[in-house]
Amino acid sequence: MKGTLALALLVAAFLAFPEAFVPVLRPFAPEGGPVIYDRASLAGLTAAHVGLVALALLPSALIALGLAIWVTRPGRAHLLPLARAVVNFGQTLPPVAVLALCVPVFGFGAVPTLVALFLYGLLPIFESSLAGLSGVPAPTLTAATAMGLTPARRLLQVELPLAAPLILEGTRLSAVIALSTATIGSTVAARTLGEVIIAGLNVMNLAFVLQGGLLTAALALLIHAGFGALAEAARPPGARSSR
Amino acid sequence: MIEIDGLSKNFGAERAVADVSLRLETGTITAVVGTSGSGKSTLMRMINRLIEPDAGTVRIDGVDTREIPLTELRRSIGYVIQDHGLFPHWSVARNIGAVPALLGWPREEIAARVEELMRLLRLDPERLGPRYPHELSGGQAQRVGVARALAARPRMMLMDEPFGALDPVIRQEARAELVAIQRALGATILIVTHDMAEAMALGDQIAVMDGGRLAQAGTPAEIVLRPATPLVRALIGESERGFRHLALLPVAAALTPGAAEGEALPAGATLADALSRMIWTGARRLPVAAADGHGAGVVALEDILAAGRGAP
Repeated sequence: MKGTLALALLVAAFLAFPEAFVPVLRPFAPEGGPVIYDRASLAGLTAAHVGLVALALLPSALIALGLAIWVTRPGRAHLLPLARAVVNFGQTLPPVAVLALCVPVFGFGAVPTLVALFLYGLLPIFESSLAGLSGVPAPTLTAATAMGLTPARRLLQVELPLAAPLILEGTRLSAVIALSTATIGSTVAARTLGEVIIAGLNVMNLAFVLQGGLLTAALALLIHAGFGALAEAARPPGARSSR
Repeated sequence: MIEIDGLSKNFGAERAVADVSLRLETGTITAVVGTSGSGKSTLMRMINRLIEPDAGTVRIDGVDTREIPLTELRRSIGYVIQDHGLFPHWSVARNIGAVPALLGWPREEIAARVEELMRLLRLDPERLGPRYPHELSGGQAQRVGVARALAARPRMMLMDEPFGALDPVIRQEARAELVAIQRALGATILIVTHDMAEAMALGDQIAVMDGGRLAQAGTPAEIVLRPATPLVRALIGESERGFRHLALLPVAAALTPGAAEGEALPAGATLADALSRMIWTGARRLPVAAADGHGAGVVALEDILAAGRGAP
């Protein structure tokens, strides 16, 4: 917790005052070359990066969770292989291939990256939501039905709250993967921190590579911790203390 | 009154329940007994339509259950299962108040009802109300399950092996408690069990299921004295049949005037208690304490044996 807070403060400080970190990064920059990436503001790129991930992950989470809910309704178990095939397809296509396939259709920019991250995010969220929903104890479900909960109430008041920790765990995994995968989007002109890394590679400026890479890694750690806290908060009150 | 009329259910080619008819009088306990796979749970689940029957009807006070909206029907019937099925993410108090909340009772009324039920079932509202189900003992969780089923003052209760997960001592207590509550509330109860002793201890009426069919229905005494099929006989247990019957009869059934040596039996004892005392003490006659309004007397061994045979 303390470590996360310190990391968040460090990231914030770096984004607000990148110049203050020049002495640290100077040894990695070429002689006389720029130390801090200067073609765009790092804060702006970070915001664009996180925004892109959020924009891709939201529909990914909604669809994956929707599919998991759909196949766990009574009498729908036979649809599970179909749903699995759909999300597995998203996972088997390497994001780079998705980018290459999408550029001719959507052109350069954010859209190919959104599509790649969206597809890549489905599987972890789907599988963990499925595990969460299937893990609700059968007597609890029977009792809920028998006491006269409508199917909708049963889902909202019993199944989803009990599955929430696992759903959030899956979303956390997808978010962390998407955050690091998003960097390759800059190869097709999406605005992400990958732009800094690619620029660093092009001009052989290790300081740029470090800025882009470390910022992305720090964001991934922060998101990991954030979702972890959410999942913990969603845990049923009794189970929380046991961890 | 609940009337079950010609109820049948098949699961694929397998016959679960075949043409069962049964009447549950208002304010009585009916125990459905059978081996696993006899269709007893399926029969119960067709009453609140957790399972839809293939044929036959269930009428509650004359109304066909198919004419009552599903959620309304279920909210009017208390349901207790073996693994209690409490909501793990809700406090004990919220679990108990679940059906009243569904029915839109005002908050204060729910709170008052929850407290009332917790006291009725010997659960301390202040201490246990805010707890979560995993913090309860098996016996407490089971009582919370019963309290939850009673919360909206249901006309009837369905109980599927409600005491199956409890140890024998607590099970004994829970049964006595259930009978006391049932007598106090006048509820109509259908309880499913595989344990004939439990059925005998609880049931005003016993219905024995065998292979989806109703093998026999009757009072506990009728079942013990005149088992209709070999399975009913086997469920009672041939070696225990006589004793089972005596356990159903109060000492008053064989009471004669007079006096005898030794410690008096309480007036509420059964003939099985009397016989058991005789086995250990060697006495052939035991004094019985006076119940209010009734004179004291003695029970004699030969009268006990005659009563056990069902002889007048």
